Amino acid sequence: MYALITIVGIVVTVFFLAGFGRGLKNAIAEYRSGTPEPTTVPDYRYGGIAALSVIASAVIIAGAGFSPAMIYAGPLLALVTAAGCGLAFFVEDKATG
Amino acid sequence: MDKSIFAAMPALTPTLGFASMIGLGLFSLALSYGVKTLLVRNTHDFIIADRRVGFGFGVGSVIAVWTWAMAVMMSSAMTFNWGLSGLFWFVVPNGFAVMAMIPFARILRKNMPEGYTISEFIEYRFNRSKVATAIVTVTMIFGIILEILINLKGTSVVVSTVFGIDWKVATVVGIVCVLTYSYFGGLWTSVMTGTLNTLMITVPAAIVVAAVYAKIPGGTQAVFDAAGAADARNLSVLRPDAAAGFGITLAFGLLAATVSDQTFWQKVWAVKSRDVGRTFLWAGALFYPIPICLGMLGLVGIAYGLTPADIGGDIVAIGPYIVSHIGLGLTLVLLYVLVILAACYSTIDGASAALSSIVAVDIVKRYFPQTSESSLFVITKLSVLFGGIIATLIVLSGLDFTTLVLTTYALKTSILLPLVLSILWPKTNMVGFVGGIAAAIVIGMPIYETAGELIGTLSILAISGLTVLVAGLVGGTDFDLSGLKRITDEISAPAE
Repeated sequence: MYALITIVGIVVTVFFLAGFGRGLKNAIAEYRSGTPEPTTVPDYRYGGIAALSVIASAVIIAGAGFSPAMIYAGPLLALVTAAGCGLAFFVEDKATG
Repeated sequence: MDKSIFAAMPALTPTLGFASMIGLGLFSLALSYGVKTLLVRNTHDFIIADRRVGFGFGVGSVIAVWTWAMAVMMSSAMTFNWGLSGLFWFVVPNGFAVMAMIPFARILRKNMPEGYTISEFIEYRFNRSKVATAIVTVTMIFGIILEILINLKGTSVVVSTVFGIDWKVATVVGIVCVLTYSYFGGLWTSVMTGTLNTLMITVPAAIVVAAVYAKIPGGTQAVFDAAGAADARNLSVLRPDAAAGFGITLAFGLLAATVSDQTFWQKVWAVKSRDVGRTFLWAGALFYPIPICLGMLGLVGIAYGLTPADIGGDIVAIGPYIVSHIGLGLTLVLLYVLVILAACYSTIDGASAALSSIVAVDIVKRYFPQTSESSLFVITKLSVLFGGIIATLIVLSGLDFTTLVLTTYALKTSILLPLVLSILWPKTNMVGFVGGIAAAIVIGMPIYETAGELIGTLSILAISGLTVLVAGLVGGTDFDLSGLKRITDEISAPAE
């Protein structure tokens, strides 16, 4: 499992840095364009996903008390966090300026 | 399981410790200088990043400022002390506290799009009441200094323990590293270095925890069996004593720590308006795995029957002790130190950036409105150094933090419901807001000190909330939050 987590960790790091680079380019391009940012705050349904993540975290911790394999869920999910942050850069709108 | 497996590592020299601290600082400084050159031209850019922080940087930086150095260690410590129940009560409210910002963030960003600070909102919400505004401003400053202080102290303890560096020297080196790079780019620097620090926290944490379990004969199964054999409750999340002992109090404390913290409000107004809601949702959800991962080190401590005396007397040291004594390679130990340093630096630079917004908007512009942009920019940049210097002096003085911790706790918890109601309930008025906070401190804090944390915290919340409700029902006038849209930008970017 250690080897797997290390390999996945390296892959996730590359993905994260690629996203970071995209985000940095976006930020510079937008700053230079000077295009005014819209001030609208769109309606956003978040209750279900928020509740799900709270419950999932509780279930994962409780799971470590039922199966030793679940102890590795923490490290694996920490990689998901890094991947999620990287993904956020690709989900954001590209600079239009 | 035989705890003689744990032995000190001679390769962990002070030189390596300094190299880790300064290396991360120099890397951040280089990035910060680039950020300053490309993205920061004035006070507006420095404190609010021109309200152009994108989704990726928003998510990464919110996770980074919420991942305190102490939290990295506390997740292991709570598991070590209470078993999985400790981890449960430490983790579950933590991510929720970040997501709890969403409704308030959306309302204020929608109704006060040109805002900078929560104190500024209170100023306009309560007809420029000096008392209400001052209470919130002071609370935010206290909270920021405490954030810096706790992270600095935690990190100096870890670095001194692992590398044998004098803790006072470690404190000074740490703060100099952070403040040097924070000074240049303000919020932009904070969000970018913070986002990178999220990478430096997550991937190394996963690898190091997996390496620790790989090093243990029998791996996860052996730890699972030994922890259960030591006490079956270690593998349960249902221990009522963990909930009563710290869980419920911590849950409210964490809510107060986000909703009553300018570090988060600064990001509410700096992230692009269309991304505000999902930024806090993703950050809260993606934060969860970090303490869950590091908490698993606590089970190792239980399985080996380690005692606080074995690890220097303080259970917070359980994670650093296991990683630096179980026989991992030097690279892995340095990776773990990097996790803690990254958590420390990102929280301190985030807090320093928040302080700069308070100084610019809530102090200089409020009390000296004629201050020129060039003077304001200089003062704002210098203010980044202010909180760090004060916190360092307190840490170095060896003073007991208890008074500062209690004062900040009292202010933040007392302010929580009045602040929430001032956003959500139009009938909230200045009398209720100020009266609720004052009553909670005057009546609630003595209850807290005599009846304990749980009853004390619930009392503070009940007193502050009920006072606002009663005053609002008696007062009877509704405040139109949408009127705040007329508020102009206090520190708009000067024309090119």
